[in-house]
Amino acid sequence: MIQLSNVSKIYPNGARALSDINLKIGKGEFVFLVGPSGAGKSTLIRLLYREEKPTRGQVLVNNRNLVRMREHEVPYLRRGIGVIFQDFKLLPNKTVEENTAFALEVLGMSTREVQTRSRAALELVGLGGKGKSFPHQLSGGEQQRACVARAIINSPGLLVADEPTGNLDPENAWGIMDLLYNINKRGTTVIMATHAKDIVDQMQKRVVAIEGGRLVRDEEKGAYGYEV
Amino acid sequence: MKFNSLRYILRETFHSIRRNPWLSVASVLTIMVSLVILGFSIFFMVNADNMATTFESELEIAVFTDKSVTPQQLGTLKLDIERMPQVSSVTIVSKEQALVEFGKTMKSSGNNLLDDLGGINPFPDRLTVKAADPQVVKDIAMRIQGFSGVENVVYGKDFIDKLLPFTRWLRWVGIGVIVAFAIASIVLISINIKMNIFSRRREIQIMKLVGATNGFIRWPFFIEGMFLGLVGGLLASATVGVTYDWLSGYVQNTLAFLPVVQNPMLFWQVLSGLLVSGMAIGAIGTAISLRQFLKI
Ligand SMILES: Nc1ncnc2c1ncn2[C@@H]1O[C@H](COP(=O)(O)OP(=O)(O)O)[C@@H](O)[C@H]1O
Ligand SMILES: [Mg+2]
Repeated sequence: MIQLSNVSKIYPNGARALSDINLKIGKGEFVFLVGPSGAGKSTLIRLLYREEKPTRGQVLVNNRNLVRMREHEVPYLRRGIGVIFQDFKLLPNKTVEENTAFALEVLGMSTREVQTRSRAALELVGLGGKGKSFPHQLSGGEQQRACVARAIINSPGLLVADEPTGNLDPENAWGIMDLLYNINKRGTTVIMATHAKDIVDQMQKRVVAIEGGRLVRDEEKGAYGYEV
Repeated sequence: MKFNSLRYILRETFHSIRRNPWLSVASVLTIMVSLVILGFSIFFMVNADNMATTFESELEIAVFTDKSVTPQQLGTLKLDIERMPQVSSVTIVSKEQALVEFGKTMKSSGNNLLDDLGGINPFPDRLTVKAADPQVVKDIAMRIQGFSGVENVVYGKDFIDKLLPFTRWLRWVGIGVIVAFAIASIVLISINIKMNIFSRRREIQIMKLVGATNGFIRWPFFIEGMFLGLVGGLLASATVGVTYDWLSGYVQNTLAFLPVVQNPMLFWQVLSGLLVSGMAIGAIGTAISLRQFLKI
């Protein structure tokens, strides 16, 4: 379902983020992406929904070559991928409910259905009572959960998460992991970049480690592998 | 476009205006001020042109004939002149008509000079020639001078020498003013729209990242731009319309010698032109400004 072949990414300012990455992820897998800060985890994730294009190499998602994909096809790619952004990317002038609803409105869904679904999604992440709040009225953890709600709202086939527990206390963090686990159980492929050693160690999922832009380790049922 | 999307787009448009009321007010004012200035410069241009045309159309060549010219010869002379290129009209003012005309002017000023003439008509037959183009008046006059039976040719030589550069200048200034203000208003309005969109670039980026198509993102902006442009255009044409109506009446009453254009058809054309321009500038400006922000 996902395949990166000889992928390198050098940003326009000359920063080398990824070097010659080869990676294959099958449908329904749960993969942790680990590595020190600045290793290139976020960059790799951004390649998957084509926020960035690789400088060299090929990126295949759902058997579509993202390097050759035409501009007008990109929105349809993104609709099939739920993204939990490291910086949340919530619209500041929309309420939490409108923010989650937005991912459905771009599909042209009816207002009633949009409402029902976004309430359900917020309920699921524990933000049931916060639908009418604006993002700036929420704590970091709550904003993160709103972002999760938006990412899962249209049951995407692929869910990518960039440090989705980074701002959460352990209890809320496990709440999110529970969610991702269940979504993965229902067949969604999940790729998650993280620094949370205890989560990676306990979940016993595939672990891909990147250092300095290079893939250095790829284990089934792996552990975090770094000292915290 | 799906009906739900249409509903979303309209809702989004007005949400955006409600949530950024001051930005919307600024956009409306920018468009209004630009169009008011543009509207006034159009009316200035129209009047400058009209004034130039009025002055120019008053240019005539008076051709006085020899006393010995028979009515038949006069007719031939008229035909000859009419046949010259660039002559637009030739009218005969016979000596009898000339006398009557003279009598009327004299009587109105309470003068009895006509009676003193004692039945003698001192006037020669005269032809009044109008040229198609004021530039060639001089040339035509000189050539008529050479025709047989022509005693004397009179035209406002000094007047033409001064008028033509003046009217030419007047027209160029009018066009210059319009072009300058049209450019200024487009620049002003596009800066404003760019600011508006720039302040929402994050929003656009996020929309793109959750899978919105460019069209879907563009429509609310587009309709908002069109709506604000329409409001700006409406205010501008009201301002220009009321002011011009008042000003032209005032000038007509106090400076009667200045020809003021009071053409209702033109008036409404300019005003509706401003309205449509406001809407078009709002919409097109938005579409153009959006392009660079949609590349994600
Ligand atoms: N938009 C960008 N422009 C330029 N350099 C970037 C950009 N994003 C990341 N980088 C650089 O690329 C490298 C990898 O960054 P990133 O992918 O964010 O790593 P991680 O998510 O593992 O911390 C870093 O050196 C970072 O400075
Ligand atoms: Mg990162």
